[in-house]
Amino acid sequence: MTALIVLFAAAFYIFFYFTYGKALERNVVRADGTVPTPAVRLRDNIDYVPANKFVLFGHHFASIAGAGPIVGPAIAVVWGWFPGLLWVWFGNLFIGSIHDYLSLMASVRYNGKSIQYVSGELMGKSSKYIFEIYIYFTMILIVAAFMGTYGALASKSPEILTASVLFMVAALVEGQLLYKTKLPFWLSSAIGVALTIGAIVTGFIWPFIKCPNIQLLYMFQVIYIILAAALPVWFLLQPRDYLNSYILWGGIIISTIAAVFAFRGFSWPAYTSFAARVISGQPSPFWPTVPLVIACGALSGFHSIVGSGTTSKQLDNELSGLFVGYGSMFMEGMLSTIVITSIGAFGFTVFQGFADKIAAAGFDLAKMQTDPAYFGQVGATVINSPAIGIGGALGIFTKSFGQMLNVIKIPVKLGETLGGLWASAFVLTTLDTTNRLARYAFQELVEPIKKVSKGIHGVLADRWVASIFAACFGWFLIAKGGNAYTALWAGFAGANQLLASIAMLTAATWVKKVQKVGKGMLAAVLIPTFVLWVTVFAALVWFLFVVVPVTAAALQVILGGFISLMLVLDIWLMFNFFKSWNEGKQNKA
Amino acid sequence: MRRLLDSLKQSFRTFDKGMREDATSLIRKQLDEEENVFALLTMGVFSGIPSPPTGVVLRILPYMSREIAVMNKRSAGLDDVFSQTLGTFDID
Amino acid sequence: MKTYFFLGKGGVGKTTASAAWSVGLAHSGMKTLVASIDPAHNLGDAFAIRLGDRITHVGDNLDAVEVNIEDMIRAYLDELSVKMKHTYSYMSAMNIDGYFDILKNSPGIEEYATMEAIKKFIALTEYDAVVFDTPPTGMTIRVLAMPRVSLLWTDQLIKMRKRILSTRGMVENVQGKFEADVDGERVVLSSSEKEDPIMQELVSYREELRALRDMFSSEQSYVNIVTMAEDLALFETKRIIESLGKFKIWVRAIYLNKFFAMANPPEEIQGKMEEQERVVGRMKAEIRGIEVKNIPLLRKSPRGIDELLDVYSKYLV
Repeated sequence: MTALIVLFAAAFYIFFYFTYGKALERNVVRADGTVPTPAVRLRDNIDYVPANKFVLFGHHFASIAGAGPIVGPAIAVVWGWFPGLLWVWFGNLFIGSIHDYLSLMASVRYNGKSIQYVSGELMGKSSKYIFEIYIYFTMILIVAAFMGTYGALASKSPEILTASVLFMVAALVEGQLLYKTKLPFWLSSAIGVALTIGAIVTGFIWPFIKCPNIQLLYMFQVIYIILAAALPVWFLLQPRDYLNSYILWGGIIISTIAAVFAFRGFSWPAYTSFAARVISGQPSPFWPTVPLVIACGALSGFHSIVGSGTTSKQLDNELSGLFVGYGSMFMEGMLSTIVITSIGAFGFTVFQGFADKIAAAGFDLAKMQTDPAYFGQVGATVINSPAIGIGGALGIFTKSFGQMLNVIKIPVKLGETLGGLWASAFVLTTLDTTNRLARYAFQELVEPIKKVSKGIHGVLADRWVASIFAACFGWFLIAKGGNAYTALWAGFAGANQLLASIAMLTAATWVKKVQKVGKGMLAAVLIPTFVLWVTVFAALVWFLFVVVPVTAAALQVILGGFISLMLVLDIWLMFNFFKSWNEGKQNKA
Repeated sequence: MRRLLDSLKQSFRTFDKGMREDATSLIRKQLDEEENVFALLTMGVFSGIPSPPTGVVLRILPYMSREIAVMNKRSAGLDDVFSQTLGTFDID
Repeated sequence: MKTYFFLGKGGVGKTTASAAWSVGLAHSGMKTLVASIDPAHNLGDAFAIRLGDRITHVGDNLDAVEVNIEDMIRAYLDELSVKMKHTYSYMSAMNIDGYFDILKNSPGIEEYATMEAIKKFIALTEYDAVVFDTPPTGMTIRVLAMPRVSLLWTDQLIKMRKRILSTRGMVENVQGKFEADVDGERVVLSSSEKEDPIMQELVSYREELRALRDMFSSEQSYVNIVTMAEDLALFETKRIIESLGKFKIWVRAIYLNKFFAMANPPEEIQGKMEEQERVVGRMKAEIRGIEVKNIPLLRKSPRGIDELLDVYSKYLV
């Protein structure tokens, strides 16, 4: 079964790449191999440099693949493995990949300007600001959400905690080797990879770093974020980023092989119930809330920023865009497919391992397997319960992953540690990165205070204060918000999908007004855009009225505030969209 | 056979180049920023930023072609800051 | 080599003082150069000789010159312009000459040129002493302070440059020599301090600045103020001493020029003479460590070497 699903997914994506994808390329984007891209035309070897399409694919994919495609599906399996898979396949095909591809190509046609800039051009200046606000919110929420998932995982798995800390050390060493010595590049890289493997193996054999206290873990993460973001990039961030790509590709290859050779049926329920309790223990209707759970892997607004940030400035040829932009998204879909597959096939094996604890906590394991509706009610609670100790969404993933890798003779705990490091390496990079950006964003936000009080502004704009504030804000949301990482994750995904909405609206406007595409293909872009907008809007309204009220008081105010503001902006955005759609204004590409 | 080996060699070379870029992309961005700031500080006198006495500037001006190019690039891109910052960082 | 600077407002007599002093030095056997770096040149008048941009021999052991600062500025900018055109080929398409016209008026360019002139003359080892007739006080103070101020900046720039070179070095360790396209040409951006032209320039400039700064503050440098015994002038003099003191430049002597030293002063200048008394008294009390000399109001302005020597022997030593 596992092999079947994985191979089917591969076939699915390949088939649609060459049919649907090519159709998009030909009729919507009208990619022309003879037209020089900005990378060629505006080449300055600073930002604009044409890159080999395979290399660019690698960079783009590594940038968009983080912990997102792992965490999202791992939360969504409470609906059963099939609904999640449906969204990863069809959501990706009809919305996600189109979003990524069109954002990339629109940016290419606008001299490599960001999609935010293009949205300003096509839909009015206010779109730019709305974009910015969504980004700020996304950044704050993702810190809280990721801190939560990592905390849940690491508090229950000293192997993974040890491995992540040792990996940090490996990255530090790698940084010194790569940048401060004259050691040949490939030697330093090999040492780095060896150290990484060493970190995983050490975590497996000798998990000496234990921290079951999740609050303490949150504190450590905050301190880590603040310190890491203050260090020069070459010290920790860059080498870790570099080693992350080895983990990513290694992980993908190993897991694909394991999945194909597992020949295991799925013991996990295919479908539990439409409104299984997925987010914050609330009955979550699959439509419209699935985009709040599975973001990357199916659809993610952040990809449009990555694509139109650096990738579009490095695209060597318009015809490479499909491979780089569209292809990467499909690749991410494969990644999420593998995540769901491993949980689908081995999730219950994991549960069996926790049978006593599950029973002690008052849940009926046998019933979970035979009664899908019951599973839908209690599945998330079982996964997240600290008493049972699976370790949350990342916990169920890493443990299933360990089981799956055991098929190719890798010890279970070792595989689990590998999966754990994979997820946590990306989580920690995101935390570090986001804090750097949030620092900058924060300093922008407090600018107006200068007019009121120079003294106060001086203190606020100090980069330490900005960094600490941003980190603590995230910490506050998760630590004082009752460890509600699913709610925070949904909040983050919501903001992320709003970004996707703007990007899709922009792409749709571009397709109509600039590309002047005919009715058929226009529908291919317009329908997903509206479906997306309506779905996300409905999901956020649901979130506001169903999830927010049951979260801790602190969260209610902040999350509620964010979401409400975003909903208002979303309506404004739609208004802008209609206005510019109906205007006869022609904008030059 | 020859061609296979050649294309393998070529692929490896591309891979090598890609990995090296991967290992330095953030540092390059930092370098651009440092060069930009250096240029701004020294040339700032022409745009109202407090800057070194003219003497220092005149002495190093003939060698600043790269820094001026970076500064011009950055100034031209000020209307689209996000593309310069967010694109490089791994958030998702 | 000893250097002498005579500071003072316009019309207070510093040209006469510096000219007389230089004559005195030459007479005592020192090979002396007297240079006017005051845009309003009077030096030639003092010697009753036509002086210009070239060093002119005016007497035994004595040479004189009137520096044309504006010409110097133009010459520097022309040289810079040529260098720039060479490096920035694309700029020649733009109107780069217009660009440099702006530089002519940029803040600090006069000070810079004046400082370069001073540097040029004290580098002439054939002289035992150089005497400077300086521009109006404000400008001169800025010029004398310039090495220190420029050093602060230069040190910062060197620090920044080191950082850039270090970052480049890190990239180099992975990607090899850093090449960039600078308007169509492949240029190697080095990461080594020895090879980076900007670093080299900054470091050598720093050396020059340090030398100048040390010279201004040294025993071999004599800064003198030429002023008059009036209340306002006293304020000004104290301020000058304080300003220069901040830059560790010590004033050696104050010359009270056009001093009323008459036997029978007419009624009309009684007030002035009282003021003079008062000022001298206050100077003795408030300004320590600096010689105060009076140069009486002379019947006519001294012109020519002999008259200047006379002034020197009677009043300056």
